[in-house]
Amino acid sequence: MNIRWYHLALWAAFIIGMIYLPQLVSKGTLRTIIFANYLAIFAISWDVLSGRTGYVSFGHPFLIGLGAYTTAILTKRFGVPVEISIPAAVLVTMVGGSLLFLPALRVRGSYFALVTLAFMELMYQLVQVIRPDLTGGTRGMSGIQTLTRGAVNGYYLSFGLMASLGFAMWLLMKTRLGTALSAIGMNEEAVRGSGLNTTKLKLAAFMLSAFVAGLGGAFYVHYLGSIAPRALFDINFVFTIIVAAILGGASTIIGPIFGAFFLTFLLEYLRPYLPGAERYFIYGGIALLLYMYEPKGLHHVLQMALSAIKGKSRS
Amino acid sequence: MTSLLKVSNLVKKFGGLTATHDVSFTVEKGDSLALIGPNGAGKTTIFSQIMGEVRQTSGTIHLAGQDIGAMPTATRIRHGISRTYQVPRPFSDMTVLENIRVGLMPDSLTQMVFGRIDHDREEALALSVGLAPQDLLKSPSELSMGDLRKLELARTMATNPSVMLLDEVFAGLTVGEIAQISELIQSMRREGMTFLIVSHDLKALEPLVDRAIAINQGQKVAEGSFKEVMDNEAVVASYLGG
Ligand SMILES: Nc1ncnc2c1ncn2[C@@H]1O[C@H](COP(=O)(O)OP(=O)(O)OP(=O)(O)O)[C@@H](O)[C@H]1O
Ligand SMILES: [Mg+2]
Repeated sequence: MNIRWYHLALWAAFIIGMIYLPQLVSKGTLRTIIFANYLAIFAISWDVLSGRTGYVSFGHPFLIGLGAYTTAILTKRFGVPVEISIPAAVLVTMVGGSLLFLPALRVRGSYFALVTLAFMELMYQLVQVIRPDLTGGTRGMSGIQTLTRGAVNGYYLSFGLMASLGFAMWLLMKTRLGTALSAIGMNEEAVRGSGLNTTKLKLAAFMLSAFVAGLGGAFYVHYLGSIAPRALFDINFVFTIIVAAILGGASTIIGPIFGAFFLTFLLEYLRPYLPGAERYFIYGGIALLLYMYEPKGLHHVLQMALSAIKGKSRS
Repeated sequence: MTSLLKVSNLVKKFGGLTATHDVSFTVEKGDSLALIGPNGAGKTTIFSQIMGEVRQTSGTIHLAGQDIGAMPTATRIRHGISRTYQVPRPFSDMTVLENIRVGLMPDSLTQMVFGRIDHDREEALALSVGLAPQDLLKSPSELSMGDLRKLELARTMATNPSVMLLDEVFAGLTVGEIAQISELIQSMRREGMTFLIVSHDLKALEPLVDRAIAINQGQKVAEGSFKEVMDNEAVVASYLGG
């Protein structure tokens, strides 16, 4: 593993800073940060699968939705306690997701993107027609049990979840598993040519991704207290996740976390000027700028700044 | 005695084109066999079938007596056979050492996550193929063609093969690099490695092999000692015609 002391020091500084944050900012800002935390979780999930292996998912809301709906239905319709419904939601996301996504992991490139997008749309249609008495149909569900009261507690819960998932995935991706998954993204044939079973590796990446997405989706729905299928299974949501991940720097875990914060605040501050569809200008613009100037994203910019500081302190 | 590698009646059709037409040959343990033929003769396609990257239309492939002809590529490699590519295909965003690391990896998720990385072994492999110590942390895009071929060899050796298939190991190399790679292959031969080698550079190939087979338009046209095959009329004609 390639972990240096300053990596851990930066994680510690980040976590300590975030613990003191509620004393520094307004409740409104805190609510924005809560959204950033959940977006970061979803971007981490996307990064583990798509950022690493190059199998670009356009259907992550499908996984998030599996987790969110499972726990929402279990708690609201059947009175199952969250201690049981949330693990169940994660399990359903991992098992259900892999049943549908696995065949797709055999097809590369735009086909994978297309298949995952199709699953998301399919799920949107299905929750409306199959057992609307359970799913709430087109209108979704409200009055779902919340886990915390107030912005401060909501913030700590979401941050704790995001930081622990982020740190765990970061550690895991520092091992040879991360190296092998990156290698798949660069040249899958050559990974097979190194004697590695790529199907098993992709399944592992998918399971990790589904685990994070399912857990994030479940906690998110218990934060919102409601679920709205049109907002969840929305191409706009897909774009937000992907742009956050690549803006921060795909395949780095830390990058997508920064990307999620940056994008959330960018969209928040621009909200008065960009009421609706204009958001897509932002997504398109960011993607274009990244492609032209900094394909490795904010993570790379930060890395360069860091090594500049280290270089200075040494000289 | 069973041959280490035995290819029998191999046929590969790409639509109307027969790229491999009933080809059979064997390679004994410790032997080195040249596979020669003009451009498009079907040499690379034979390699790809032996490795399982291209599935044969018919025919069988045995490694140490075991039928590997239906196994997935990764499984064949675990059984002790591996290849280099005509066009080196390193992992572009990794260092030289990380490239070798992938070749050394066990095919077990738990070992990947919890096992220790053998940095010494990575370095030893890189140095053994003649890469310089200052190149180990470079990215492949900074390497010369000769060094890329060395990296390719190191990554192939990392899977611990008993037979190595080398595809155009000398293409794009300087005279000095050819000599280095040639010396490397000869020293591996002395240590008992078995080879099947494709090269257009017949002069460089000669000292590396015991025997040769010649392929033209997917068919085996000659087999024997390197000199016999080179003097064979059909082979001479195929090179002039091809
Ligand atoms: N995937 C494929 N689909 C269709 N045709 C193919 C495919 N791969 C190879 N061929 C054809 O099979 C024939 C043999 O190609 P192959 O690459 O094996 O030749 P080669 O002897 O390695 O040539 P070279 O010396 O140029 O490397 C060629 O006519 C080639 O066009
Ligand atoms: Mg070839």
